[in-house]
Amino acid sequence: MPFAGIDIGSTMTKAIIVDHEEQILASVIGPTGAEHRHLALKVMDEALQKAGLAMEGLDFIVATGYGRISVPFADKQITEITCHARGIRALLPTVRIIIDIGGQDSKGIKLDTEGKVANFVMNDKCAAGTGRFLEVIAETLGVKLDQLGKISLTAEAYVQISNTCTVFAEHEVTSRLAEGASIPEIVAGLHEAIAGRVVNMVRHLGMEKDVVVTGGGAMNIGLVRAIENKVGFPVLIPPEPLLTGALGAALAGHDFVRRGVTPDHGRRRERVTFFQ
Amino acid sequence: MKDYIKYYAGVDIGSVSIKAALVSNRRLIAAELVASGASYKDAAQKVLYSVLVQAGLDAESLSGVVVTGLGSESAPFPARQISDISCQAMGCHYLFPSARTVINIGGQFTKVAKITPQGRVVDFLMSEKCVAGSGRFLQVIARILHVTLENIGPLSLQSREPVEFSTNCAVFAESETISRIAEGARAEDILAGVHRAMAIKVAMLVKGVKMEPDVVLMGGGGEDAGLVLAIGEALGTRILVPEQPRVSTAYGAACLAELDLAL
Repeated sequence: MPFAGIDIGSTMTKAIIVDHEEQILASVIGPTGAEHRHLALKVMDEALQKAGLAMEGLDFIVATGYGRISVPFADKQITEITCHARGIRALLPTVRIIIDIGGQDSKGIKLDTEGKVANFVMNDKCAAGTGRFLEVIAETLGVKLDQLGKISLTAEAYVQISNTCTVFAEHEVTSRLAEGASIPEIVAGLHEAIAGRVVNMVRHLGMEKDVVVTGGGAMNIGLVRAIENKVGFPVLIPPEPLLTGALGAALAGHDFVRRGVTPDHGRRRERVTFFQ
Repeated sequence: MKDYIKYYAGVDIGSVSIKAALVSNRRLIAAELVASGASYKDAAQKVLYSVLVQAGLDAESLSGVVVTGLGSESAPFPARQISDISCQAMGCHYLFPSARTVINIGGQFTKVAKITPQGRVVDFLMSEKCVAGSGRFLQVIARILHVTLENIGPLSLQSREPVEFSTNCAVFAESETISRIAEGARAEDILAGVHRAMAIKVAMLVKGVKMEPDVVLMGGGGEDAGLVLAIGEALGTRILVPEQPRVSTAYGAACLAELDLAL
C-alpha cells in the first residue's frame, strides 16, 4: 500500500513515496521550472522509478504547495499548511511552532498539543522575508545561495540593512560594498533582516517551544542562527527540511485511505500548469 | 530693457535625472533634463548651464537659485535648499491653481501631498518602504519585455485583457511576467497589468492623505499615458498632467526662488 505526496513549490518540487508503515520508499527534489513550471510530473516520475512503482500502483496521491491547484495526476489537493503540520507531527511530535521559509513565501504555523493546526500566518505578497530576498542579493554579491550560511558565520559583526524592499536593499548592499563593508558582514546583515521580519510575523501566534525551521531557509545555517537569536532558544531542524510538506501530503493520503476515502482513478499524466 | 527682467532658476537633483527650470515672473522660459550619472555635481552644473544658454543668459543674470531633490546637498553653485515636497507643491499650484492633491511618481519613490489653495503642503506620504508604486517597478518589467520607457504608455493603452498580477511586489511581478510571457501573454496586456498594480499602490497613498480634487500627476509617471489612465480609474477621478511633468518640481523650485526674493 504505497502513498505519494507531491509538494509543488514556487522554486522546487518535492515528491515522496511511503509504504503502509509510513516508511519512506523514495524521495526526489527537483526544480519546478522557472519558466514553464512543468517539471512537477518529471519529479513524480523519478520518485516512482526510485521506488520501482508505476503511478497506477499508488493507493493515494496528494498534491500540496503553491502549484497544487492543477495537478492532473493527484487524487486530492491539500494546503501546504495542513501538510507541513502533518509531516512535522510524524517527524518531531514536540513541535508547537513551524517556521517555513520558502523560495517565494514564508509562514508560521502553530500546532496544538495533538499536532493539529491551531493558527497560521503567512507572507506571500512581498519578497522581503522570503528566500527570494536572499536569492536576489546573493546574485548581486556574486555568492552562491548555498554558501551564504557558511559565509555569514565568519563575520564578527553585521551590517544593518535598513531597507525592507528587496529592490531598495539591493542598492543598499551595493553602496555598503562600495563603502568597504565585507561580504560576510553584509550576508550576516541580510540574515538578520530576514530573521527579524519572519520572527516578528510568527510572534503573532505566540512563540512556544519547540520551534522547527523548515523549507530552504532551514538549509542556511546563518539564517537559522539569526532566527535562534531572535527567538531566544535553539530551534529544531528536520533531517530533510525541504521534504516535510511532501511527507505530510503522503501521510495525509494514508489518512484518507484509513477513513475509507477512495482515490480518483481519473489520474491524467499531464503536465502541471499555473495561473489558469 | 532686458536688464530689468529678473530670472530665477530651480534645479531638482533626483536619483535618475537632474532637472533645471528657468522662470521669470513665474513664466517657464526654459527647462532641461539630464541623466544624474556618477557625478551629481557635474550633471547639475551642466543642466543649469544648458537652461541659461537656451535663454541666452549667463550665470550673473540669475537673481536667485533654489536647489531641491535627493541630491540637493551636492549642488556645485550657491543656492538655497528647499524640500522637494514644497517645490512640487508650489510647481503644481502655479501650473494648476485648482489642484489640491499632487502625486509625484519618480524613478525610485512616489510622493503624494495634499495642498492648500495657496500651494502649501498640509499632508504628505511617501512610498519609501516599497518600490512597487514607483517608476522603478515599470523599468524592471519594461526591461524584460524589451520595451523602451516612452513606448510603455502607448502600448498599454492598446491592451484588451490586462494581466492580473497576484501581488504588487516588483520582485514577484518580475518572475510572474516571465511565466506569463511563456504562456503567451502579450506585452501590452502585461504592461496594462503592471499599470493597474502600480495604480493600486498609488491609490493607497492618495487615500492616506484624503484625496481632494483636482488631482495632478507629476514626475516621470505623468509621461506614461497608460499609468495616468490606470490611476484615474483606481481613484475614480480626472487626473491633470502638466505639459512637462518631469520638470514640474524644478519649476516649483524656480518659483520659490522668485517668491522668496520678491518678498
